[in-house]
Amino acid sequence: MSNLIEIRDLLVKRGDHPALEVDHLSIEKGEVLAVVGPNGAGKSTLLLTLARLLRPERGRILFDGQPAARESDTAYRRRIALVMQDPLLFDTSVFENAASGLKFRGVGRDEIARHVPAWLERLGVAHLSKRRAGQLSGGEAQRVSLARALVLEPELLLLDEPFSALDPPTRARLLADLKSLLSETRTTTIFVTHDLAEAGQVAGRMAVIIGNRLRRVGRPGELASASGDRDVAEFLNHYF
Amino acid sequence: MIFDAEVFQITLLSLQISALATGLSLLIGLPFGTLLALGKFPGRSFLLSMVNTGMGLPPVVVGLFVAMMLWRSGPLGDLKLIYTPTAIIIAQVVISFPVVTGLTAAALQALDPRLRLQLYGLGASLTQMVWMLWREARLPLLAALMAGFGSVISEVGASMMVGGNIRYQTRVLTTAIVLETGKGHFDIAIALGVLLLAITFLVNWALTWIQQRGARR
Amino acid sequence: MKYARFTFLLVTVFALLLAACAPAAPEPAPAPANPALILATTTSTQDSGLLDVLVPLFEGQTGYVVQTVAVGTGAALKMGEEGNADVLLVHAPAAEKALMEAGFGKDRFLVMHNDFVIVGPASDPAGIKGAGTSVEALQKIADAGANFITRGDDSGTHKMELSLWGKTAADPNGQAWYVDSGQGMGATLTIASEKQGYTLTDRATYLANKENLELEILVEGDAALLNVYHVITVNPDKWPKSNYEGALAFANFVTGAEAQELIGEFGVDQFGQSLFFPDADKTDADLGLE
Repeated sequence: MSNLIEIRDLLVKRGDHPALEVDHLSIEKGEVLAVVGPNGAGKSTLLLTLARLLRPERGRILFDGQPAARESDTAYRRRIALVMQDPLLFDTSVFENAASGLKFRGVGRDEIARHVPAWLERLGVAHLSKRRAGQLSGGEAQRVSLARALVLEPELLLLDEPFSALDPPTRARLLADLKSLLSETRTTTIFVTHDLAEAGQVAGRMAVIIGNRLRRVGRPGELASASGDRDVAEFLNHYF
Repeated sequence: MIFDAEVFQITLLSLQISALATGLSLLIGLPFGTLLALGKFPGRSFLLSMVNTGMGLPPVVVGLFVAMMLWRSGPLGDLKLIYTPTAIIIAQVVISFPVVTGLTAAALQALDPRLRLQLYGLGASLTQMVWMLWREARLPLLAALMAGFGSVISEVGASMMVGGNIRYQTRVLTTAIVLETGKGHFDIAIALGVLLLAITFLVNWALTWIQQRGARR
Repeated sequence: MKYARFTFLLVTVFALLLAACAPAAPEPAPAPANPALILATTTSTQDSGLLDVLVPLFEGQTGYVVQTVAVGTGAALKMGEEGNADVLLVHAPAAEKALMEAGFGKDRFLVMHNDFVIVGPASDPAGIKGAGTSVEALQKIADAGANFITRGDDSGTHKMELSLWGKTAADPNGQAWYVDSGQGMGATLTIASEKQGYTLTDRATYLANKENLELEILVEGDAALLNVYHVITVNPDKWPKSNYEGALAFANFVTGAEAQELIGEFGVDQFGQSLFFPDADKTDADLGLE
């Protein structure tokens, strides 16, 4: 299977400090990769860099075999979708929220009317379609936020700790729904979380970022056994 | 002269001048305030302080400055704009543009900074991003518009100085009030004052209605 | 504490500012029982700077504290009529008489006069220079349709101008060339200069602003152009709260020998000519008033 993303020798700085270093990371098409590590380790920096919201100091990112820099930022971003920790819904109806990304892409009214209700339905929030965003509960809002991203049918879905603000039962249900949706659509996904259990539930492989550096990538079993890195071992030990 | 044709003409002129001045301020102040709120460039915070200072410009100082520009002896004297409604509009734009700019910048800076990242992350272009942010901040932006209008409809110093309070040409409600007070016609002055208040109220009421209709139901 | 030091600094600065604002202490005079005196007068006396000479002298001699309110003659008379002023210094003889007849004024003395002139651009498009009388000049302006700026504010000057128009065959009202500024003399002169129009002005204000104006005196010396000032005390029988003693003291002061001499000299050093002519020893009839 071919790689959708290939990163080599990446250095991203925030201010004067290195925020993330990645020697090599590749993500296969259709794969769900979890990015784990302690808070402030540089996980979100990876996502923001892949969304071209941060500019790397050096390094090469190939997207679908092409240097990502070849396209304009906007054209590139229209191939991906980003979901952040807070739903960050716009002050309008649920339907309009879910339609916003399509509208940015200039998608016609008819197509929007076809796709948006379908995705609201798949995320179980179709009945809230006319509700204003401000009236939703945390779980409902995050479902709308996911629908807003998935309706775009992105080549790459970037999820930045989307469930960390939710209570455990809500989170468990949403996680299960997300897992089945992703395996159904085979959307290439990078799922940032600081919760290893959550990571193991959704993702095949995990990338461990500690101290602003990508340390290890692999399946949970491989990581636990083949750990020659004390920091990684210590981080994983909290969970396994 | 209460409620006759002349009062109507003065009232209409006041409204036209101040509405046009507010509109122009919005046209300049909205993009400029947005740039100040979202942009990253050297001198940004200096400009922002300038604008915030400008929000309190005394109209009479603006009037003096604009008059000096427009007098025949001034650098723009050849335009022959002094003592015309256009001159008042220019002065009023100078007064209300910092108000609109400053409040626009404040409104946008009050939004969650991650909203911008989220919008880009959904594929918004720069224009689409700015448009969505304006939409999100529409309530404080309408408040900025109201403040801009309020700063010019009630202003007398600049209108007097650059407009000249010329009957049928540049006499507006505020300058007419000063004139009638000077004549000792306090009853007419008060009537005009009430009229001015009523108009200001009606305009703000309309804008508030639009604003609240856009608020969360 | 940083705060305490800052507050101290603030208070000190504030106190210094206050001290700087306080007027230099005048020669102490026996303070009258009711020292506050409100003088309502026309903008022309204020703008010319004459009051800045007379009022401090009066205050120093008598201990009264004068609050000068400079407004149009109409408003000044109204303030007297409504008891909002104690003493008036105004120049609208007909309206003054009406005020006296209605009983709102108690004493009325002749103080001084200055004169009006008609000014306009040097090019003189209506050709009024050399006109025999002011009425003839206005007629020419109307015939030529040249810009004329009227104050339109019911001031003494405005009333004088209207009475002159009344003697012509022209009706300027509503004419495009008849521009109503609705402002004081200084602002109206500026507008006349900018629009290169004619206007009727008192000599004092014209001379005081001359440097900034592109206007020249075209008609002067007409007997109809005299501007006569009277001082009027507000009648305490109508308004018991008014400060009649102070008002009378002021009236006596401005008609007294010292003030009269000052009035005659005022402006000579700056403009080379007197702006006002003392008249306390004359009667209305001497000045052509009945």
